[in-house]
Amino acid sequence: MKRPESKTIDLQTSRRAFLRGIGGAVLALPWLESLGGAAVAAKAPAQRIAWFYVPIGVVRRGFFPGEADTRVPEFSKKFKQAPLDLDLPLGRNPLELTPTLQPLEKVKNKVTLITGVDRVFQAGTDVHAQCGCCFLSSSSPFGVTQSAYPLARTLDHVVADEIGGKTPFRTLEFSCNSHKDNKESVYFDNISWYGTDHVAPSMRDPRRAYRRLFGTSQTTAYRDITDLVLEDARSMQRKLGSADKQKFAEYFDSIRTIEVQMEKLERMRGELSQVNLDEPPDAYLPRGEYIRLMGDLMIVALQTGLTRVATLMIGPERWDTPMMFEGLFDKPRGHHEMSHNQLEYIDDLLKVDQFHIEQFAYLVEKMESIEEAGGTSLLDNTIFTYGSGLGDGATHQYSSLPIVVAGSGGGKFITGKHLNLSKKTGAVGQLDGKFRQELHGQPLANLWLAQARAMGVQLERFADSTGPMDQLFA
Amino acid sequence: MTPASPVPCRGVRRLYCLTCDPIGEGVAGNCEAKKGADKLRTMKDCPARPSGVKPRRLLRCLGFALLTLSNALPTLDAAQDAFDTILKPALRKHCVQCHGQNDTLKGDVNLLALQNAADLTKSPKLLGRMIEVLDLEEMPPGDAKPLQPTVRLQMVQALKKILRASVSEAKIFPRTPIRRLNRFQYNNAVQDLFELKVLVFPLPERLMREYEDYFQPASGALPAQVMVGNRALGKSQMIEPRLAGVEPFPQDLRAEHGFDTQGDHLSLSPFLMESFLSLSRSIVGSRDFNAQNCGIWHSFFEAPQASTHPLAIVVQQRLRKFLTRAFRHPVNDKLLGRYLAHVLARLRTGNSFTESMKSVAAATLASPRFLYLYDEAASNPSRRVDEFALASRLSFFLWGSIPDAKLLELATDGRLSDRGMLREQVQRMLRDRRLKRFCDSFPSQWLQLDRLISSVPDEKKFPNFYSYAANFRSSSHMMLEPLLLFETILIEDRSILDLVDSDYTYRTPRLQNWYSASPIERDSPGTHKFARVPITDRRQGGVITTTAVMTMTSGPEESKPITRGAWIASVIFNNPPNPPPADVPPLESATIEQKDLTVRERFKEHRTRPACAGCHAKLDPLGFALENFDAVGRWRDDYANGRTVDASGVLFRKHKFENIIEFKDAILLEKDRFTRAFAAHILAFALGRRVDATDFPALDEIVDQTAQAGYSMQTLIHEIIQSQSFVGKMRPPRKKTTRL
Repeated sequence: MKRPESKTIDLQTSRRAFLRGIGGAVLALPWLESLGGAAVAAKAPAQRIAWFYVPIGVVRRGFFPGEADTRVPEFSKKFKQAPLDLDLPLGRNPLELTPTLQPLEKVKNKVTLITGVDRVFQAGTDVHAQCGCCFLSSSSPFGVTQSAYPLARTLDHVVADEIGGKTPFRTLEFSCNSHKDNKESVYFDNISWYGTDHVAPSMRDPRRAYRRLFGTSQTTAYRDITDLVLEDARSMQRKLGSADKQKFAEYFDSIRTIEVQMEKLERMRGELSQVNLDEPPDAYLPRGEYIRLMGDLMIVALQTGLTRVATLMIGPERWDTPMMFEGLFDKPRGHHEMSHNQLEYIDDLLKVDQFHIEQFAYLVEKMESIEEAGGTSLLDNTIFTYGSGLGDGATHQYSSLPIVVAGSGGGKFITGKHLNLSKKTGAVGQLDGKFRQELHGQPLANLWLAQARAMGVQLERFADSTGPMDQLFA
Repeated sequence: MTPASPVPCRGVRRLYCLTCDPIGEGVAGNCEAKKGADKLRTMKDCPARPSGVKPRRLLRCLGFALLTLSNALPTLDAAQDAFDTILKPALRKHCVQCHGQNDTLKGDVNLLALQNAADLTKSPKLLGRMIEVLDLEEMPPGDAKPLQPTVRLQMVQALKKILRASVSEAKIFPRTPIRRLNRFQYNNAVQDLFELKVLVFPLPERLMREYEDYFQPASGALPAQVMVGNRALGKSQMIEPRLAGVEPFPQDLRAEHGFDTQGDHLSLSPFLMESFLSLSRSIVGSRDFNAQNCGIWHSFFEAPQASTHPLAIVVQQRLRKFLTRAFRHPVNDKLLGRYLAHVLARLRTGNSFTESMKSVAAATLASPRFLYLYDEAASNPSRRVDEFALASRLSFFLWGSIPDAKLLELATDGRLSDRGMLREQVQRMLRDRRLKRFCDSFPSQWLQLDRLISSVPDEKKFPNFYSYAANFRSSSHMMLEPLLLFETILIEDRSILDLVDSDYTYRTPRLQNWYSASPIERDSPGTHKFARVPITDRRQGGVITTTAVMTMTSGPEESKPITRGAWIASVIFNNPPNPPPADVPPLESATIEQKDLTVRERFKEHRTRPACAGCHAKLDPLGFALENFDAVGRWRDDYANGRTVDASGVLFRKHKFENIIEFKDAILLEKDRFTRAFAAHILAFALGRRVDATDFPALDEIVDQTAQAGYSMQTLIHEIIQSQSFVGKMRPPRKKTTRL
């Protein structure tokens, strides 16, 4: 990767200036939608929801309470570890921050660690691809017939169906995949899906994301064009077979969405122009800065009401290409490759895990620093979930996933607790040479159902949920 | 179409000659040619060829005969007969012990439940898989009682008969869904539509940069020396003439074991649609979008001279031609009227003529008729796609772009789908410089060469890899060798078996020294001069043992035999392994007590575990065969720990080999399997979908025809295009719609 040293330093300076810009603007910025409409000062601040996806799981010993002294998973037929008994009551417990979670110290009372949530692996696809693309969907195994993946409309879109109608963007998708090679398919690289086989692509270039959110677009020019092409689309649609007709709906939906988005952005333009944000530089950013910058953009979008629903995937699943983790290692490293050999790389992996939590903590603190109506903060009004689709990068288990929920969605959820849902935990090894699916807690979809309901979406079920995660509600 | 010129046939012991071996089994008995067969590949050279029959005509007759033959697909009755007499008893005897009896359902396959042929025709997927595992000798597994070769052959034939019956009777076939253009196609289509002399936006996915227009397919030969650059890894190779101020949408990802043309990967979202809208305006708005760079400037954008016709008529004429080309289909008056109204409205509000035409051009690029590839629904029950869809299929396959005027003209006249005309047009397309787009997309994706972008061999262990200049990597040279070999085989119409084993290649001095372990010369980090060199050492030649493939299938320190085996299985035999079980980490650097072991010994554990043995039995021989090549593709006899490399093995449990040369021979003994795999890759690329069991009959025929023509590359392309899978129209399964 080309990285002229002198240039990086310059960029860091301008990057700092940019952050000051955001920081300053951030404190002064209200939820803009309320400015545009009638006076709604008394109204409660809008609820927001976002996810922070971490690929390739975590090292369990560093992350999970009660596992500090467990054996390091290794490649060996001897590793037939059964789940551990966890000496912790079910339900709400005081939150003790494990070494990996230390960076959350400052916001400890605003986050909840959830242990004992599982997903079910549906055989037939790559384990990494499925853990990422199905993280927010968790459809019942083999419940989706048209794809090898149990992949259906993901939670962000389900929630946006209910609450995304008033903001310019129904949802926003951010990603920090900076790989230049074309190594993996879309399934490794996306957590947000409109539906089976229909990806919601993410913004990964900070500069272009900035322009999309805050740039001045040629609204009127677009409208001239969209009228014309929509008519083309209508006449074309009549000629299509039924399956194609259904897929082609994406064109109408996209155009319509853009038109609505333009209108709403137009109405917000006046206020948005007061936001004194510098355009991010068009150059290489060290890993941490890159993640924080994309996170900053997501926060500003949530704060100003550009959207209420956002996902941030901080790296793609698997993708065996080494990359720089500036400040951690002096050479490019492959997260995935290291994850397969904890015996050798456990210290480095712990650094990576903590580095990711640091970025999450940075964003949580930032949200907490943004004041909103009624003495609340943006964080208070948001449900911001850290999670990974693997319970451990070495065992590739879908059980005992690492989940931290920050914020309470406007007081709906408890915070500052450790919610334990299973008496069993641990790195689960293989049995008779076969990967063993250990399910001993609640389905991840129970958390998603609880979040959907907290956001006001009246769902009976979501994916393979067995019921909402009751203990989470305040 | 003449068969390929005879290529000295090194190591090919079986002969595919119509006269001697009409069924392509390669086992015909008393042929004179057999004795000297090692030197022959084509029918033209066969001494037993009936005199007076020109190979070309004979080929055509036989091709026709075969076609007629295959059109008479077996009925379900025949299929049932094959099931009852051969398949059912054989399955009961050899397979159900593990797949059905006593609740043993290995791989979740229940063969005991199969009562009649219809149970199989209902699930082409199972059918296809059964053919594959039997054909590839994966089943029964090594520890089970082996199957008699004749029984195996009978079973495969019975299954194929059932499959063909299934294809002819079935109502549902795979079909590519409507899909948007990918980034590469979009760039090419815009370039061709406006006849641009510059690129639209940078395309790192085109790995090789061409200099001095060396690629002249009409000449039928690649020059002895070519100047090329590596966009992904070379210095300044992304800097090339293009439209300033135009930002592309994100690169489309390759499907797993597939290509970036695959339909399920190419959907649309508001985010992308925004990109398309702003992109189309920025293209026509670029300061480089002018009379100098745009070939249709004068005929489309420039205001007409004082004309006898009213302006509206002039605009209409211009639009009709332009839109027909952009939409790859004649435009009706209603549509034309809308676009005309758009221009007239611009003119009325005081825009210049050129500005107004730019506006309508931008709208055209955002129209779904431009952005999407699709087949119109059947208005007639024909099983062939309509003429215009065929024109697009052809041009997006071979040119990665919209059809040209000639293809559209033939489609308009209804003459394109005529077999002879189709052949003639493909011949023409293969001689057109636009064929470079096929060479810029298919081979690099087929060989997965973009993996080399992220190869970072250890600097201490392999210092030469980085020498010369900062950021320089030898992979910048390596990556281009297999691409140039592919181009040679294509435009010189050589045997596709040269991809496995060639006696020539293209190399820079640096690469030449790399292979011969000579001191490494300095070379330009920017453009590279490649020269055609003969290969006398059969350890080299073909794509498999190139430094490119060997390096990208290695880790920074060591070769990765399983990665290599998986590469061979996927790329050479189109039989990718299932994903590894979730709990098996790849073998990392040896621990201290393992230091004296060879990598093969360290992997023993994998092979002995039941969960791993199945895949490793398949992958290990393929990967270990390449162990004489180190992590940067250089030859080694011994490992660093002094142990001798053992590259021996058995291919498909059939062909024993001791070293890499014998391994290549073994692959060449399975040349029809390779041909079939290669054809399936191209077909998947061309059709934008996975190739599945319903394509097997078409593939069988493609392989037959190609084998008869001495494995000629261009014959393969022709036969793919003539196949039912390519020209056929398939009815799609219903698909659930999604909202945005």
